[in-house]
Amino acid sequence: MDNTFVEFRDLRKSYGALEVLHGINLAIGKHAFVVLVGPSGCGKSTLLRMIAGLEAITAGTISIDGRVVNRIHAKDRGIAMVFQSYALYPHMTVRENLSFSLEMAKTPKDVMVARIERAAGILHLDPLLDRFPAQLSGGQRQRVAMGRALVREPALFLFDEPLSNLDAKLRVEMRAEIKALHQRLQSTTIYVTHDQVEAMTMADLVVVMNDGRIEQSGRPLELYDHPATLFVAEFLGSPAMNLLRGTVVSRSPEKAVDVGGGILLPLPEDASVTAGQDVVYGMRPEHLAIGKPGQGIGAKVSLVEPAGWETHLHAEGGGHIFRVISTKRLDVVPGDPVSLVPDAGRVHLFDAASGLRI
Amino acid sequence: MVPMSMIQDGAPPLTAAERFHDFLQRLVPYALVIPGLVFVLGVLGYAVAGGVVLSLNETDMFLNQTFVGLKNYIDIFKDPRFQSSLWKTIVFVVSSITLGIALSMMFALTLYHVGFGRRFFRGLSLVPYFVSGIATAVMFRFIFTTSGGFVNYVLGGLGLPTPSWLGDPVLAFIVAVLANCWFMVPFATLILLGGLQTIDRDIYDAATIDGASGAQTFRRITLPLIKPMMGVSLIWVSYISFSTFDIILALTAGGPLRATELVSVYMYQIAFLQLDFGQGSVLMVVLLTFNTVLSLVYLKIFVFGDRRYKAAR
Repeated sequence: MDNTFVEFRDLRKSYGALEVLHGINLAIGKHAFVVLVGPSGCGKSTLLRMIAGLEAITAGTISIDGRVVNRIHAKDRGIAMVFQSYALYPHMTVRENLSFSLEMAKTPKDVMVARIERAAGILHLDPLLDRFPAQLSGGQRQRVAMGRALVREPALFLFDEPLSNLDAKLRVEMRAEIKALHQRLQSTTIYVTHDQVEAMTMADLVVVMNDGRIEQSGRPLELYDHPATLFVAEFLGSPAMNLLRGTVVSRSPEKAVDVGGGILLPLPEDASVTAGQDVVYGMRPEHLAIGKPGQGIGAKVSLVEPAGWETHLHAEGGGHIFRVISTKRLDVVPGDPVSLVPDAGRVHLFDAASGLRI
Repeated sequence: MVPMSMIQDGAPPLTAAERFHDFLQRLVPYALVIPGLVFVLGVLGYAVAGGVVLSLNETDMFLNQTFVGLKNYIDIFKDPRFQSSLWKTIVFVVSSITLGIALSMMFALTLYHVGFGRRFFRGLSLVPYFVSGIATAVMFRFIFTTSGGFVNYVLGGLGLPTPSWLGDPVLAFIVAVLANCWFMVPFATLILLGGLQTIDRDIYDAATIDGASGAQTFRRITLPLIKPMMGVSLIWVSYISFSTFDIILALTAGGPLRATELVSVYMYQIAFLQLDFGQGSVLMVVLLTFNTVLSLVYLKIFVFGDRRYKAAR
């Protein structure tokens, strides 16, 4: 059975002669939590606003629940949106903020009260209902913004970078709350963020966007473990993947990658590369182990970041900076020599010219 | 127990001299504001107090004063010409406020949405404000002169009647209101535009998604959020309309048949043509009282009395 709930077909957006979305095709299943992630200016917010009906569609179609919504007014699309700035009505109490959309839709009073009570119950807004937005903390405002979306009982939730204005601790808390809310309500959700940690932790489906195109979409760990392009490899993961340009050389009996500085890196057995091919050799920081002296890549520690549950190292060797994550508490200081051993089975190889995974 | 924040690692406490220096630094802004404030209040206070003293005295042409108590007030309030001018002033002010605020709001909303050439149009919209009252009046005379005036030229061309705009009491009054609006609308527009620009555009997007129509958004979102600026523009248009004098004098000189003889124009007649400074000052006190009371009412309704405005800040 086709489970598609939201679908983009060759979706394009132009401002005058400038095209900012170049033909987006994507199908989103019912109940999915989809995160559109990418750097600033990649077109993710524009795409979200087009779904919401706040931006005109230049070409292509958006369908929601089997209905093309290109010419349907925002209020009739069955969506609700949570904004980065919360966009609460500052002169209305929390209760009035929640009831505004229902009033506009001429919802009967008893239904209105019931929906507000339900949303307030789910989001713990009861004690705040008679306060004004300015009297609330950032986290509380965020919950009100979610409540305002919730009372509409939308078929599709849209979130536009909702956690960007919160401090780090609150962001982690709200992340969990949004995820829990989705698990409870099971409404299809499209969530825009530039934060890859949010994308990885919250999504059923991550859509990585770059320069108005979808670079790759898939389950978070699928993208993390098998990035299809150099951009995705670099974008997902913190600290970022170590990426070294090099050339494949034959070193009997197997091939290796010469990344310069006298460093030869091992290739997986099944790597389909030919000698002389220019490649980018990628290693996740957690797949670089600290080996015994003389083993692997010889490097010198340049920075130690003890994070508690793990240690982040920067080490310099052969003109390259290597980022390493170790779950052990390493007894090293800047200047100490270390040997770094890549896990050859978990190496990512990309074609240097096209940036595509080999 | 001393709170952690109070513990200073080896830093000695501030000396009396250092504390005094801190105190002086905090005084600096007040010291800079006070001279200007004293000057403004002094000039205004002197003029108002002088006017009130004049209104309680009879002043002859040699400026000898005789205290007469409230006689000037009683005489003026009994004067049918004053009663008529006060009534006209009220109609003039109410019409000017209604038309002026409606136009200002319309222009402010238009300018808010103008994308291309935004700065140019915003600058251009202020031009009428920089034209003096006399020049505005002369311009309106050109436009509304019965023969050869622009309006009648157009009406004639369309085969419509060409009335004597400045010769007919009602039409002359309407032209005076229009000229007054022409002068005061740009600044009121600027104030309202400033208000509109403080509203986060996301709020409008949220209202669109919430299903509010244009009119509902204006009434439920825009108006309440620019209420304080609305109050300030109302103070401006009321003040200008009550006090307008140069435009009327140059446009109609209070005529025809005293149809446009507002209190301010009558005040000029009494004080400077009949040289009755006592009764002239009574009219100044009347205008001042109207302006002050209205301004306080506006402030109470639109700014300080608004629980929602306070809460939103």
